Amino acid sequence: MTDRDELLQSILDSDSSADYPAEFQEKYVLMECLSEQKGITTFLVQDPEGKNHIAKCYERNLWTIADNSSLLDGLDHKGLPKYTESFENENVLITVREYIEGLPLDRYAQENELSVKEITRICARICDILAYLHHRDEPIIHRDIKPQNIIIGPDGSVSLIDFDIARVYRSGHDTDTVFFGTLAYAPPEQYGFAQTDARTDIYSLGILLRWLLTGSTKENKNVKTYRPLDKIIRKCTGFAPKDRFADVSQVKKALFSANPRSQAVRLTCVILCAALAIGAVCYGGVRLYRYLTWSPFTEDAVPAFTSDADRVEDAVSYMKEKYGTTMFDETEDTATVGDLRAVLTELYGFDREYVYGINEDMPQENNAYFLPWGWDEGQTVDRDIAVYAAVKAHDPAMVADWSSLKDDNGYYPGVRVAVAFAEEHGIMNGANHPGDIPLGELAVIFANTDRVFEAAETEE
Amino acid sequence: MDKNEVKSKKISTSELWAKLFRSASVERYLAGSVDMQELPLFSEYNSMLAEERNEKAEAVIRRGEIESSFGHKLFSGTRNPSRDTVLQLAFGFELNADETQQLLKVARATALHPRVKRDAVIAYCLQYHRTFMETQQLLYDNHLPLIGGKNDRS
Repeated sequence: MTDRDELLQSILDSDSSADYPAEFQEKYVLMECLSEQKGITTFLVQDPEGKNHIAKCYERNLWTIADNSSLLDGLDHKGLPKYTESFENENVLITVREYIEGLPLDRYAQENELSVKEITRICARICDILAYLHHRDEPIIHRDIKPQNIIIGPDGSVSLIDFDIARVYRSGHDTDTVFFGTLAYAPPEQYGFAQTDARTDIYSLGILLRWLLTGSTKENKNVKTYRPLDKIIRKCTGFAPKDRFADVSQVKKALFSANPRSQAVRLTCVILCAALAIGAVCYGGVRLYRYLTWSPFTEDAVPAFTSDADRVEDAVSYMKEKYGTTMFDETEDTATVGDLRAVLTELYGFDREYVYGINEDMPQENNAYFLPWGWDEGQTVDRDIAVYAAVKAHDPAMVADWSSLKDDNGYYPGVRVAVAFAEEHGIMNGANHPGDIPLGELAVIFANTDRVFEAAETEE
Repeated sequence: MDKNEVKSKKISTSELWAKLFRSASVERYLAGSVDMQELPLFSEYNSMLAEERNEKAEAVIRRGEIESSFGHKLFSGTRNPSRDTVLQLAFGFELNADETQQLLKVARATALHPRVKRDAVIAYCLQYHRTFMETQQLLYDNHLPLIGGKNDRS
């Protein structure tokens, strides 16, 4: 037999797994050695049906490791490998679990340019898995969250593997005495400062997020990260656990808010709301302005004439045509209270008693009669009184202020309101005598007032 | 030397490693930190190997018994190989055990490990230039999973 043949025979006869339980050796064939460190060897193994599994072999002389098979057996989450079985003898403890198809995240990230959206999706999925572990009756802290322990499946599914160091959190234990985990991803308390809890995994998740975004586990001020995610990283990686997110579900919520799409939706909402608010304010302002300034009266109800004579002639003919009256024909004659009362009763149809009645009580500050003053029939009429009567014929409410604030001429506020209205709308164009007025100007005042009120728009 | 004598001659993992590989120890080889970003692309490395060894892709693919169109996709970089396919390529290139470890490393696949009997047999066959078919026969005879079996990870 040559040396070569001897070597081959040695290989075939060798039994490198002789230390392993016989049942394990009978059932599984070693296919690949995935890692070998500090007394923990991880193999890809194949069962008799040709199905792949992962076997972790812990050497008992190096590790005091509790059999956590019952713990693993109780887990049922699509993001966690299913526990298959375990074997043990005096040398080793072997746990066998489902083999998960896919690439570890470190390699996946190197082979694919991950968008911020994809990064947030992956981290949100990890949050889901951690929430499942942390929220159990006996919370399980993974304590080794790192890209190598996250598998991205061909369909994009996210799985968390490697429960070497995961263990049940036991409150009351002040510190962890043995360092587990991966230095770059481990929070300060994992070096033995304090007992680790769910916030340990949240710290590592923050480092993972930073690595995915910047390619480095260390903070680098020169590398600008997407700002909403940067805030999450900071909150995850606070030195003291109390400064971090208290629960992984809060991290997930923050991730969703930080997602570029959520941000875009939020920004769009803010812009839309702002635009709506501005629109509403503008519309409201316009409405308010129109409400405050609205007047039913149009500006050009009163016809434009170049001379007072033309205005008088036009007004007299207007009144004649409209009311069939000749009472204004003598345009130069001074108008009297009797003329005014005749206009109101005969042309405008007011009740005679109402127009002719006189309130004997003093002061005559009420609306019991059309004219509050006890004038004689032959008394002349002031222009302001004529205006008052003309406006009151159309809108009594406008001139109904009978408070005692008389002006210098002894007129009540209602008269001043009527005069102001008449000035604004050109009713007095052609009636230029402030004192006694002739019949022609009385016609002008009544004709113009008629026109202004007839041209008025109905309220919006 | 009779069969019993051979059987009694137990060989340790490190001894086996020393006989198959030039590297001083399995630990050193496996522990050697690999910066994956520094590794060449697998397809580029293949082309470089072919050029260095004055080989045509067709010949490599044929010797490795790789399906032709799939083999060409490996050279062009449009497909990523499974570990077993990398091993088939190693047979196609007629690499020795050390060179195969390097090819596996470039393919980001796990190294041949002497503790895994199947790996040790494959390393032996590569080191002593057994053909792919001879290797498969040896694996079959010893009830070890064949290379490129139906459950090959890809």
